[in-house]
Amino acid sequence: MDYKAIVVGGGHAGIEASLAIARLGFPTMLVTQNLDVIGKLSCNPAIGGLAKGNIVREVDALGGEMGKLIDASMLQFRILNKSRGPAVQAPRAQADRFLYQKLAKETVESQKNLHVYQDTVVDLILDHEKGLCRGIVTERGRRITSEVVVLTTGTFMEARIFIGEYRQSSGRLGEPAAIGLGTAMRAHGYRLGRLKTGTPARVKKSSIDFSRMEEQSGDNPMLPFSFSNEEIHRADHSCYITYTNDETHNIINENMGSSPLYSGEIVGAGPRYCPSIEDKVVRFPTRNRHQIFVEPEGADSEEMYLNGISSSLPEEVQYRFLKTLPGLENVEIMRPGYAVEYDFVDPTQLLPTLESKMHKGLYIAGQTNGTSGYEEAACQGLMAGINGALSLQGKEPLILTRDEAYTGVLIDDLVTLGTNEPYRMFTSRAEYRLSLRHDDCDMRLFPKSRYAGLLSGKAMELFEKKRNSLEEIKELLQSRRIKKADVENAPPSVAGHVGDSLFKAVKDPEVTIEELAEIEPALKRYKSQWVKHAELDVKYEGYIAKQEKQVARFKKMENVKIPADFDYDAIEGISTESREKLKKIRPLSVGQASRISGVRNPDIAVLLVLMGKENNVSAE
Amino acid sequence: MTMKDFKYDPDDLIAALATPWAESALAVIRTSGPDCIEAASRVFHPSDKLKNAAGNTIVYGYISDGDVKLDEVTAALYRAPRSYTGQESVEFFIHGSLPGITKILELLFRSGFREASPGEFTFRAFLNRKMDLTRAEAVQEIISAKSNQAQSLALNRLSGSIENSINRIKSDVTDLLASVEIQLDYPEDEAEMPDVEAGETDPIVDKIDRLLSTYRAGRIYQEGVRVVLAGKTNAGKSSLFNLFLKEDRSIVSDIHGTTRDYLESWISIGGIPVRLFDTAGLRDADHPIEVEGIRRSNEIIDNAHVILYVADAREGITADLEAFMEAYKEDRRCLYVWNKIDKAVSSAPADFIKVSALTAEGFSDLEDAIKSVVFRDHYVPGNEPVIDSMRQKKLLEEARDALGRYSQALLDGMPMDMAAVDLTDALNALGEITGEVTSVDVLERMFSNFCVGK
Repeated sequence: MDYKAIVVGGGHAGIEASLAIARLGFPTMLVTQNLDVIGKLSCNPAIGGLAKGNIVREVDALGGEMGKLIDASMLQFRILNKSRGPAVQAPRAQADRFLYQKLAKETVESQKNLHVYQDTVVDLILDHEKGLCRGIVTERGRRITSEVVVLTTGTFMEARIFIGEYRQSSGRLGEPAAIGLGTAMRAHGYRLGRLKTGTPARVKKSSIDFSRMEEQSGDNPMLPFSFSNEEIHRADHSCYITYTNDETHNIINENMGSSPLYSGEIVGAGPRYCPSIEDKVVRFPTRNRHQIFVEPEGADSEEMYLNGISSSLPEEVQYRFLKTLPGLENVEIMRPGYAVEYDFVDPTQLLPTLESKMHKGLYIAGQTNGTSGYEEAACQGLMAGINGALSLQGKEPLILTRDEAYTGVLIDDLVTLGTNEPYRMFTSRAEYRLSLRHDDCDMRLFPKSRYAGLLSGKAMELFEKKRNSLEEIKELLQSRRIKKADVENAPPSVAGHVGDSLFKAVKDPEVTIEELAEIEPALKRYKSQWVKHAELDVKYEGYIAKQEKQVARFKKMENVKIPADFDYDAIEGISTESREKLKKIRPLSVGQASRISGVRNPDIAVLLVLMGKENNVSAE
Repeated sequence: MTMKDFKYDPDDLIAALATPWAESALAVIRTSGPDCIEAASRVFHPSDKLKNAAGNTIVYGYISDGDVKLDEVTAALYRAPRSYTGQESVEFFIHGSLPGITKILELLFRSGFREASPGEFTFRAFLNRKMDLTRAEAVQEIISAKSNQAQSLALNRLSGSIENSINRIKSDVTDLLASVEIQLDYPEDEAEMPDVEAGETDPIVDKIDRLLSTYRAGRIYQEGVRVVLAGKTNAGKSSLFNLFLKEDRSIVSDIHGTTRDYLESWISIGGIPVRLFDTAGLRDADHPIEVEGIRRSNEIIDNAHVILYVADAREGITADLEAFMEAYKEDRRCLYVWNKIDKAVSSAPADFIKVSALTAEGFSDLEDAIKSVVFRDHYVPGNEPVIDSMRQKKLLEEARDALGRYSQALLDGMPMDMAAVDLTDALNALGEITGEVTSVDVLERMFSNFCVGK
């Protein structure tokens, strides 16, 4: 074997996968088509967002890199959804994408055990008989062998981009597609499909009249994504908001015929949650305006990103409709918007470890599995890397469950349900989101992180410190009572709690822990984020307990395991449809089986009886 | 949002009728689960006798709802692991009247037991390695339970319309949840949509309440149609009462009325369980005890589904009868019985049912008349859904209560992500009636109803 592991692709999944395996001590090759675009933010120059910000922090808690990269390159930071509730708040940061990319490349280059190499992979070395993956074949004809291969091809497999009539075999504008690998995968028996995504135009900052737009600045101070970083001091850069109008929509409607989206040329499904402006105009004809965010691409760059107006209309049409937006009357396009269509691998062919069911040693992660978004890619890359390394170590895999992490929800959804559009994480995909708060990722994932073995000693220390502090804060809240003298200058909501413990007072939705810290200054000794963390734990105890009941029920089913070689043809009395689905997905637990669409409840009961005997579930 | 709701949870208390749902001399209700004996003893008198009994013994006593004794029973007691399921179990041998069974089951379900799913006792037996059956047999049991369930559903004329109407409610809740989720999943400054408000659950709660109100109509056959004999003391009410008991197999001969004001008995008329009341005679009285008796009689009449006013054919149309007919002329519940036709000379007025309590002549006409009133007033046509199971009622109530908690949470200033948990609970409860709602459904709704930005 030339290497222990080969990671194909240098995007957000490939970075995490290759770093994880190399850091766990295995000689690893990261092979990518162009070393200069490692870690490129191909679409919006931002990391995080609702549910996605939580994923970034999960990646960090597990020892991944994304949180550190964005902490070192952010131009603006905001906590989104402050008014909607703690479980759905999330951090989002505008990135200096040039800096982000530079740091990403430096990180992989300087990583011990990691060989960063430029070539294009056109095929895999597969032993069909033994069901093994043995390495890769490159465009330049090299056969490189390894025990583990992680495939993270992003939007590059057999990709084509579209701008009006223009077509090119590219994965990103100006970057050639990876031709051959998708076709080879099909020939090897994998089911592949086509998906589409799009990106808007980048325009020149000095051509924009910002006075005609709303300015949106970030939170001060910026907060780190990484649990290892204490604070961040970087200059805040503003974003700007403008709107489309009837004229914009008229131009788009008049030119709909020249959009490859509507001419039938693009067969892949696009993301419904992030539609192109053409889609928005068609699907929501009654809306007379759509919000557009103008975001900086880098501190030293003239390029600005137009969030919310991705398009594959001909460039001259893009010009025409952009000029109707307030502030963009004299806009100069630097790069046009375009659509890209690419191959993805049906992820139901993977185990929850992201390893192929057909070929041991082959892991697939990221956009290749039909997801969208840097964060979704990164967490898959990390999990594929961790599981690849664990298998090299001969250890049990690490599978996160739906109640533990968004990452667990994401991978479970992919391998159990598959996807027919680019999959994006939403908080509403997680049944137990109250337990998946972003500030809590380290606390809930720590035992897993320790098992994965990627955390630094410093990170482990910090974890212990935080855990102890949270306990101390809660004890303090329990023991301290509010006295009459305490509330002389307090707001009425606090004054009503004389005689109560701080613990009881903080449960009142109208009372904040900051107000209580005025009564009990000892609270100020702790890091404000940790105090806030304790507040949320206490304030929503009741709801969290309610959810924990649901989780307990869910776990019972998850704990009933199904052997990997279980013979579904040998069971009597389940419906043909259920049998076919079960054979296709090969769930690892009855819980997973119950989530396969089209598998009926009575058939699950049959499975449970059979597996109950194997597992003796009542014994726990 | 919801996991497929799976009822085969081996760690809670379950109860079910183990004998067929039919009138019979005896019926057996089986219960099982951790601490089952303790839970069963709470509805048993004397409670300690059951609690302290050894395994594999039989205990005699009463099922009692608080101070009210519901039935005289024997209880077979099994201590773990020496039982069918391998868990603690109690089997009650009770009288086999449908209303009686219903009452006892209702009591159990109020007391910590849940209705067992088909095959669930066997399932537990299997999990606890109690069964010497082959796997295939255990599986077979669930399969046959499955088809029985399907069969009974197919036979249930009403089930389709219940499902439709619950699906409509579910769809409303899904819409509401989607409008909450869209706010939660898109940053507040990006999604342009109205805020959700507490009152939005009101129309949904109304729909649930309407459906719940049909429970009574659905239940009337189980709780018994209240038929009251009214009329003057000597009109032959008691003879008629006895005739009913004689002609119709008495389901429960337990005579409830502890006062002398009225008699009550369970009978069955054409398969409809009927609670027949014989009231104190209707007459003006000055005596305080009589006044009280008449007050109670009137109360029974007010709550009746069918009123049988018994007139003495020998007396003809009396002032009392005329007064009653005048007072109740708008009341469609009334039937007039022209009794003692064996002795009468005068012919019956129109619309009177001619009966002889002595010879039973005309009795079947009387039964038909009662049935037609019941069907007219309490029969719900096929296109209108009626809920008739305790399970449906309980789940609908759960859904309604969860919606209430959601609105209350918003009013209390709880954040939306917390409040959304209650909407999910409501959806879960509704989903348990008809099948499940998944997060995919909610996302579909989000995408189809709202345009989103970033």
